[in-house]
Amino acid sequence: MKLIKVYQKLTVVFFSMVFTLILAGTANADVAGGQKIFEAKECGACHLTKGPNQDKTFEDKLKRKGPDLWFAGSKFKKEWLVKWLQDPKPIRQMAYNSIEKKNPGDHSKLSGKEAGDVTDYLMTLTSKDVVTGTIQAKKDLMGKMVFEKKQGCYGCHSSMRGAKVAGGLTGPSLVDAGKRLQGDWIYAYLKNPQAIIPVKRMPTYAGVLNDSEMKSVASYVASF
Amino acid sequence: MKKGIISGVIIIVLALCFVLQGQGFGASPGENYKWYCAQCHGLNGKGDGPNATKEQPVTPRDHTDTKGMSKLTDADIENVIRDGGKATGKSTMMPPWGKTMTDAEIKELVKYLRQLCKC
Repeated sequence: MKLIKVYQKLTVVFFSMVFTLILAGTANADVAGGQKIFEAKECGACHLTKGPNQDKTFEDKLKRKGPDLWFAGSKFKKEWLVKWLQDPKPIRQMAYNSIEKKNPGDHSKLSGKEAGDVTDYLMTLTSKDVVTGTIQAKKDLMGKMVFEKKQGCYGCHSSMRGAKVAGGLTGPSLVDAGKRLQGDWIYAYLKNPQAIIPVKRMPTYAGVLNDSEMKSVASYVASF
Repeated sequence: MKKGIISGVIIIVLALCFVLQGQGFGASPGENYKWYCAQCHGLNGKGDGPNATKEQPVTPRDHTDTKGMSKLTDADIENVIRDGGKATGKSTMMPPWGKTMTDAEIKELVKYLRQLCKC
């Protein structure tokens, strides 16, 4: 009787292991499949996937045709990314790297399956400089004060001002930023922009804002 | 011994100066202007950059305005670039660039603005 129970247990363990391996295999297949799609569609012609970014001059930056993705898994929310890749509405009003041309809104559109696989691949790309679990999204009062009063963040980033979208056009829109961005990435970028986006048009706020203010702004923006 | 201490202090002070100021990219004043300032002030400095939208609470300064610009001293301009509008009693919509450009670049930018305003 005891022997039968042991066999039953072993059978359960065996099938659990097989099932886990199948699942892991499928997940890896999605990542590998996503990378294949990414390469086949030549996404790398515009997006950097091997970081860190080594840009040293404006010229280096101007050669780039789209935002870096080498930290995509640290930056984006997975649920947002998979949806956006199927319906890529512009996040930037201006064309990437331009303050003269409007964003033509011609980003490639992926099917549901492709978007899922590419998202699985992109979410594996992370930066060691983004520490997860540091920033919680919340309507942080200090963050709001820094964003709106102490610094004029909306000078370059459009965001909701009451019920209206308002603000500048040269920075990426921060409307619904919390659905798109991980607060930990926002904080890491504010704290050490050199490690994330070394050449940028945004002022460096490390040394202007203190650590607590940077955390508050990141929490606040992540709550949008 | 004394010389060693003095050299040590000088090295620390120089290192601190390097760390505390902005890190530039070796660009010319014109390039810095077009890269950073033009976002709000426009490529030709007329205060008509893409961020100068109708909804903004203030209008970016027109750097070609000879009369208005001539009221500002070089130190005023340098301070507002380095520490932002708030530090000089102006709008916080003008951000601080002191950690973005080096002190030398900011001083060169002041000269560039003087060319724009012809003042």
